[in-house]
Amino acid sequence: MARLIRTEKEVEGRYEEVWLVVEEDALEQWPSGPREIVGRPATRIDGLERARGEAVYTADLKLPGMLHTAVLRSPFAHARVVRIDLAGALASPGVHAAIGPEDISQLEEECGFQGAAVAAVCADTFAQARAAVAAIDVEWEQLDVLLDPDEAIARGEQLDEPRVRTRGDYEQGLADADVVLEGEFRTQVVLHNSLETHQSVVQWVGDTLEVYISTQYIWGIRDEVAKGIGIPADKVRVICHYMGGGFGSKNSPDDYTFIAIELAKRTHRPVRCALTRREENIATGNRNATIQRLTIGAKSDGTLTALGGEYVNAVGWSGWVAPTEGPMQLLYSCPNVKTTTWGAKINQPPMKAFRAPGFVEGTFGVESLLDELAAKLDLDPLELRRKNYAHHDAADERPFSGKSLMECYRRAEPHWDRRLEVRSRSTETVKRGVGLASQIWYGGGGPPSYAWIRVGSDGRATVVTAMQDIGTGTKTAMAQIAAEELGIPLEHVTVSLGDSARGPYAAISAGSSTTPSMGPAVRAAAADAKRQIIEIAAQRYHLEERVLDLRGGTVVSADGNLSTPLEEVVGLLDDAQILGKGARGPNPTGMQVLTFGVQVAEVAVDIETGEIWVERIAAVHDIGRVINPLGASSQIEGGIIQGIGHTLSEERLHDPKTGRILTTGLDAYKLPTFADVPEIVSELVDEPDGHLTNLGSKGLGEPPIVPTAAAIANAIRDATGADVRQLPISREEMLRALREAEQRTAEKEKRGAPAGV
Amino acid sequence: MELRQASSVTDLDGGLPLHGGTEVVPLIKAGILRPGELVDIRGVVPRGIDGTRIGAGTSLAELEASDRIPEALREACRLAASPQLRNMGSLAGNLLQATRCWYWRLAWPCRLHGGDECFAREGEHREHAIVANDFCASAHPSDVAAALLALDATVVTTTRELPLAELYRLPTAADRSTTTLEAGELILHVDVPQPDASTYLKAMERKRWAFPIVGVAAARSGSTTRVALAGVAPVPWLLEGSLDDATPLPRNAYKLDIARALVARATAALG
Repeated sequence: MARLIRTEKEVEGRYEEVWLVVEEDALEQWPSGPREIVGRPATRIDGLERARGEAVYTADLKLPGMLHTAVLRSPFAHARVVRIDLAGALASPGVHAAIGPEDISQLEEECGFQGAAVAAVCADTFAQARAAVAAIDVEWEQLDVLLDPDEAIARGEQLDEPRVRTRGDYEQGLADADVVLEGEFRTQVVLHNSLETHQSVVQWVGDTLEVYISTQYIWGIRDEVAKGIGIPADKVRVICHYMGGGFGSKNSPDDYTFIAIELAKRTHRPVRCALTRREENIATGNRNATIQRLTIGAKSDGTLTALGGEYVNAVGWSGWVAPTEGPMQLLYSCPNVKTTTWGAKINQPPMKAFRAPGFVEGTFGVESLLDELAAKLDLDPLELRRKNYAHHDAADERPFSGKSLMECYRRAEPHWDRRLEVRSRSTETVKRGVGLASQIWYGGGGPPSYAWIRVGSDGRATVVTAMQDIGTGTKTAMAQIAAEELGIPLEHVTVSLGDSARGPYAAISAGSSTTPSMGPAVRAAAADAKRQIIEIAAQRYHLEERVLDLRGGTVVSADGNLSTPLEEVVGLLDDAQILGKGARGPNPTGMQVLTFGVQVAEVAVDIETGEIWVERIAAVHDIGRVINPLGASSQIEGGIIQGIGHTLSEERLHDPKTGRILTTGLDAYKLPTFADVPEIVSELVDEPDGHLTNLGSKGLGEPPIVPTAAAIANAIRDATGADVRQLPISREEMLRALREAEQRTAEKEKRGAPAGV
Repeated sequence: MELRQASSVTDLDGGLPLHGGTEVVPLIKAGILRPGELVDIRGVVPRGIDGTRIGAGTSLAELEASDRIPEALREACRLAASPQLRNMGSLAGNLLQATRCWYWRLAWPCRLHGGDECFAREGEHREHAIVANDFCASAHPSDVAAALLALDATVVTTTRELPLAELYRLPTAADRSTTTLEAGELILHVDVPQPDASTYLKAMERKRWAFPIVGVAAARSGSTTRVALAGVAPVPWLLEGSLDDATPLPRNAYKLDIARALVARATAALG
C-alpha cells in the first residue's frame, strides 16, 4: 500500500525534508553471503558492445541534418560585455543561427569567471561554428578580480552563511587535553575530466523536445529543461543509454543544453552542443580548493578531547558549500567538536560535486592530523583510531544503520603489519613507509525509485526503468538482482534503461546512490513477477503456491516431483506477459546510513628529489551487501587511481593576478598514467546492513577515493618523518616538508632532546 | 591552409615544414602558428641511423629502440612524451619544439611573443627556468636536446654545420627567437660521437608522459665530462661550473634542489 511520509532525503551529505509517497518494502533481506548470482562476480552485460564501439554515446550521435555549436566564453575571470555584435558570425559560411546575452538567460553579459558563456553559433560543421564565433565582435570591460578565498571571506563575499556545527564544550575539551596539535592543510582545484565531454544533442519532434545528453540524472534534466523553457515535463524526453563518465559534474543541463535547445528552436534542426576538452578544463565544474585550519586535543593515551576545524571552501563564482567538515564531525567519538565552514565567492569557475565532495578534502586534513598526533604521542595510528571509534553518529545523535568499520580495521591488519618489512627496504636516499586512513561517507540512496519487469512466454525477463548507468556497471548489478530474485540465469535478463519515455522514475546517479536506490526497487519488481509465476504454476500443476519455487530457470516443487523449465510453465502465455512492478522503500527512520572503510598505502620517497612512488594500496570497505564483487573491485581501483591523481599530480592552476586558467589541456593538467598506478588490493566486508532496504546494500561509487590522499600522506610521514600539508604532494611540497622535518630534528638535537621520528 | 609535399629539402618556399606534427599541429590549433602553407617534409628529410650520423627525420621511437646510439640519447627518447607521440615525433622536431610555458602557449603577449612582460616571473612559474631567466623565464622542454648537448653533438643543416649548442640562443629584447635557424633552413642530420659513458636522468610530475621538471644528461669521453640540463633555462643548458649562480624564482627553488641531486647522480653514474 502506498504511504505518505515526511522524511529526510540525503544526497552527498546535503539533507532536505521532503514529502514522499513510498510503498512498503515487505521483502525480507537475503541471508548474508554470496547467493547464486548476487554476490558473485559478473562481467558487464554491456561490456562487449562498449568494447566493440557499438555502444552509441551522446558523443557518437549523428542525427540527420544535425548542426554543430561553438560557444563564445569569457576569456577573463571578471568582465562585462560592453557591446556585442553577432553580424559577423551570422555572415560566416555554414552558419544557421547565432544567439547572445539577450536571447537566453544562460548567456551572460556580466561574467564572474573565465568560461562563462556569452554567445553561441550553430553551423553545418563544428569548424564553421568555431570560425564564426571568432567573427563575433565583442567589446569587453575588464573588472577587478577577487581570487584569495581568505580575503573573500573577510570581505563578506560568501556564497552562504558560515556553517557552524558544535557538540560538547570545545574550549573545555582543549583545556582537558594533554597535547594539542594544530595544522593548516590546503587542497587544490581538481577536474573531473570525464572521457566524454559535457554535451547534448537536442531535437524537436512535434511538440516534444528530445534531449540526448551525457548525464547522471535523466529525470533531473527532464524537469530542469521543462522548467527552463516553460513546457510540461512530459513534453521533454531525455535519453542517455551510455555514458562516458560524470563523477558528479553531469547532474544538471547546464548552459550547453539550453544553448542547443534555443538554436534547435530557431533552426528547426537537430543541434549538438558538445564542449571541447579545453572548455572541459575550464568551465564545466571542478572540485574546489580548500584551506583547513585544524586543531586536535587529546589525552596522552590518545583519547580525543577536542576537534576543531575552520574550513574555507574556495567555491568559485557559484556552486555550494560542500561538507569539508563532515569527516571531522563523523569519524570519531570525540565529545567536543566545533567546526565552521565558509564558502568563498571568488572569480573562478563554479565548483560542482566531484566524487565525495568535501569528504575527500576533509579526510586528507583530519586523517593527516590524527597521524601527526599518533607520531607525537608515539601511538600506533591504527590503535589510535580504534580507541576513538564512533559507535553512533555523535554529530546528529543517531545510531548508524550498520557499521563494520572495526571489521575493516581487523581485515586491514595484515596490510598494516607489513610496515616493518616495508621500512626495512629503505635505502639512504629512498625511504619507504606505510600509512593508513579511514573512510566515512554517505551512500545509502533513498526513495523514490521504481522498476518494472516483464516476463514473456520464453521465460526471459526485461527490467524496465528509466535510470542511467553512468559507467559504473549498475546495469549489470540490476540484472543480477532481477535474475537472483526471479531464480533465472543472468543471461536471461535484459535491462532497458536510459530513456525517460521508457520506464518509471529512477534516482540520480550521484552520492553513490544508484545501486542502493534502484536495487531494492528492481528486487521488489522481480519478486512481484515471481509471485505471479508461482501463482500460474500452482494453478497449472494443481499444487499449493507455498511448495513451489523458481530456481535456476526451473519451477520446482518442495517434494522434487515437479521440475519444469520456466519457459514451459509460462509458454502458455503466448503474447501475454507477466508484469511486475517494484518501488524503493524508505530508509530507516532516525538512523544515519553511511559507508565506511580503511586504506593502507605503501610508498617510497626519494628524499633528494622529492619523487614519490605509491607502491601498493590495500582497501577494505564496508558498503553492506556486495552485488557484484567484480564491479566493486573496479570501482575501488578507479577511485584509488583518481585519488592518486588528486594526491600527487593533478591541479588546475590560474594566473595569480588575473585569475585566468593556465592549465587548459591534458598536457598541463596531469592526470595519472598507468605507470603511476600501484598494486591495488581490494576487499569488502560484504555484510548486509540489516536496517537498510530489502538488499542491505550501499553504494561504492565514491567511498574508494575518500581516504587515498590521507593514507598516502601518512605513509610519507612513516617513511620520512615529514608532514605534508598540501595537495597535490608535488616535488615542491615534498621537498618543503622534508626540509621542515630536517630542521625540526636539528632543533631537537640542539636542545639535547632525543631525535624524533 | 594548404598542405603540399616537399620535392626537396630546399623546397620550403616560405611554407612551414611539417614532419611528425606533434608540435606544429597543436600550435596551429592554438593560433600561435598561422602558416599560409604547410610543407610535408617527411619524404625528403633523411631518416635512420648510419654510424654516428642520425637522420633528422628519425622518430624518437626508432631511437629509443636502437642499441647503436649513446645511452643518454636513448634514455632521453624513452623518457620523452608517450609511445604515440614518440612514434610520430622526429629528432629535429623534438630539438625545435617550443617551451611549455603556459603563458606562451596561451598566447599571452609575453616577451617571447614580442611583448614587454614576462608573466611567469610575476605569476605562476613553478615549472619555469631557474637559470638565465631574467628576460624570459620559459623553460626548454627537450630531453633529447639536453642529451645531445652533453654528447657534444653537431647539427648539419641545409646550409651549415654547427655544434648543437649554437643551434640555440637566449631570447633578447632585440631578438626573441630561441634558435639560430634561418627561414627555410632545415636540419638534415645530427652527428653524435660515441662517448665512453653517458646517462640521462629525468624528474617528472608523474611517471610517464610529462615534460621534465629537470632533466640531466651527462657524458664522459676520456677525462672530459659534459653535463647538460633540460627544463631549467629558456634553452638547453650546458652546465659550466656549478649551479650556485642559479637565480630561481620564489616558487621554483625546489627545481634547483632536484637539479643538484640529479647532476651529482648523473656524474657519479659515469664512473
